[in-house]
Amino acid sequence: MILSDLLGRPVLDDAGRRLGQVVDARFVLDGPPDGSLAAARLHGLVVSPHAHSSFDGYERTGVDAPALIARFLRWRARGSFLVLWGDLESIGDQVRLREGATLYSPRLSESEV
Amino acid sequence: MKALFAVALGVLTAIGGFVDIGDLVTSSVVGSRFGLTLTWVVIVGVIGICLFAQMSGRVAAVSGRATFEIIRERLGARMALANLSASFLINLLTLAAEVGGIALAMQLASSISPDLWFPVAAFAVWLVVWRVKFSILENVTGMLGLALVVFAVALFALHPDWMSLGSQVLLQPSPHTDESSATYWYYAIALFGAAMTPYEVFFFSSGAIEEKWKPKDLTQSRINVLVGFPLGGLLTLSIAACAAVVLLPKGIAVQSLFETALPVAQALGKIGLIVAILGFVAATFGAALEVTLSSGYTLAQFFGWPWGKFRKPASASRFHVVMIVSLLAALGILFTGVDPVQVTEFSVVFSAIALPLTYLPILIVANDPKYMGDKANGKVTNFFGLIYLGVILVASVAAIPLMIVTGAGA
Amino acid sequence: MNDRRALPAPPPVAGRVLDAGLDLLDRQILDPDGVPVSTVDDLELTTPDDPAHLDPEHPPVISALLTGPILLTRVFGGRLPDSRFIRIPWKVVTDPGVVLSVGVHADSLDASWTERWMRDHVIARIPGGRHDPE
Repeated sequence: MILSDLLGRPVLDDAGRRLGQVVDARFVLDGPPDGSLAAARLHGLVVSPHAHSSFDGYERTGVDAPALIARFLRWRARGSFLVLWGDLESIGDQVRLREGATLYSPRLSESEV
Repeated sequence: MKALFAVALGVLTAIGGFVDIGDLVTSSVVGSRFGLTLTWVVIVGVIGICLFAQMSGRVAAVSGRATFEIIRERLGARMALANLSASFLINLLTLAAEVGGIALAMQLASSISPDLWFPVAAFAVWLVVWRVKFSILENVTGMLGLALVVFAVALFALHPDWMSLGSQVLLQPSPHTDESSATYWYYAIALFGAAMTPYEVFFFSSGAIEEKWKPKDLTQSRINVLVGFPLGGLLTLSIAACAAVVLLPKGIAVQSLFETALPVAQALGKIGLIVAILGFVAATFGAALEVTLSSGYTLAQFFGWPWGKFRKPASASRFHVVMIVSLLAALGILFTGVDPVQVTEFSVVFSAIALPLTYLPILIVANDPKYMGDKANGKVTNFFGLIYLGVILVASVAAIPLMIVTGAGA
Repeated sequence: MNDRRALPAPPPVAGRVLDAGLDLLDRQILDPDGVPVSTVDDLELTTPDDPAHLDPEHPPVISALLTGPILLTRVFGGRLPDSRFIRIPWKVVTDPGVVLSVGVHADSLDASWTERWMRDHVIARIPGGRHDPE
């Protein structure tokens, strides 16, 4: 399957309530080596209740400037969360979460920022 | 001389923004109808392009990425595609105008009909893009384009009433006009849009990479900007001032390069006229080179193709094919018989779309530590950057309605 | 308005984290000589055995970067048949930084087909095409 199959899909919880749409997919390079790098496994999906796409990920990185733009984009991405692969029940036209799925903060804890 | 060459990139970029064929005629038109009352727009435009060219030059020198590559990475494929389409159309229309402008300038020099010059001009532009090294290209056209300084010389030789010119600069709008204020604002936006045309930053940042600027060259980048663009603004104002002094009192309407050159001929005679024509040819040729290369740069950078004059054509094939096709399309447009200068009026429309989609990503990336390390924007730059973004948005929203209401400034 | 502060931090992971939209999509790919290959237009992932009942132990893995006509379907919609994909396998990627570096030369990848075609059939036919500019 391709990434575009996931992006933009509506996300529902186990009761069928709509939580938002998929705006990004998080990968982690901790699999067995595949060439020079480790395999990149799908760690989770970033979901946003309001925005249809994530503009530049301001809600995830710590970049604060320019101030007005940063504030506007963070507002637009308010309520975004990360849901891990293990908490996904099914994918297809919609993404459904398992019962008791945890919603995590989408922030990236990067040291360079 | 070497010091002059060091700022050649800035000068050449400014030529495309301030004294290309559209501006040569528009500055003269503005001077002949509004005097110097639109000077403030030129100043605002110069500051704006200095601010953003500086940012895009810094981004290119520090991160090695040219502006359009960044637009796609930061805005995403959809918005970048919108920008690309608008920019490509602007480039094409402007290119047709510049090639036509070269022909018109050659007509002034030789009295041979422009139609015959079109293919010659297009071929000459292509030949330079194909074979000539980037540094030679920018040095020669940049320096020859400075011949337009003759307009400033002519202004002094005309012994104008400086007090009256000064009061025009400060008095808004012009008191002695039967022009509507809508027309005034149309020309204000046209001048502002021309000063900040996106292809200037595409060309400047790609040129920075052609010149292989690195973080140690940041000072050189800054000097290029601070010398080139204000100089371009001064040339525009000189042309407008000459028109204000000679054409406005007599009510002479500017319809071609001939009227634009009239004040110089009057002040400095035949020699002045020859220098002015040399300036016209060099400026339109330089602008044609800038726009042709920008078409190649924007498409290649969007799609991720190898690009650059630092590569031999065989190593940047699609880049060169795009430029050849653009020149041929520009020729096609010219052979339909349109007036090259009128063509630039329509590119204002597409600029309205391309302007915000170009400058927003530059402002964002110039702040991103992943690209800029410790050379990201300071608070002052961001403050002015945000203000200008607001001005750009206002201009881009108002451009099309004003164009319709005033019949493109008729 | 900072809902995200109320959300718990996810469990830490022991590997590099890449968000597709932020770090992979629309990025430039360079070969070892710094020659641009293409941009990343989409990603190909391994397909789960049963999309309706996902297996938590076997998440999809990136198998290749995609480029070419897939950009059109990504922007405008629709689905390109698998056979038309232009792939750059994940195993040739050496560094996913601000630009993605691959370990093989541009000419040896499928993705450079149009560049090579233009070179051989158009540019090479024009005099001076193979020379450095002067």
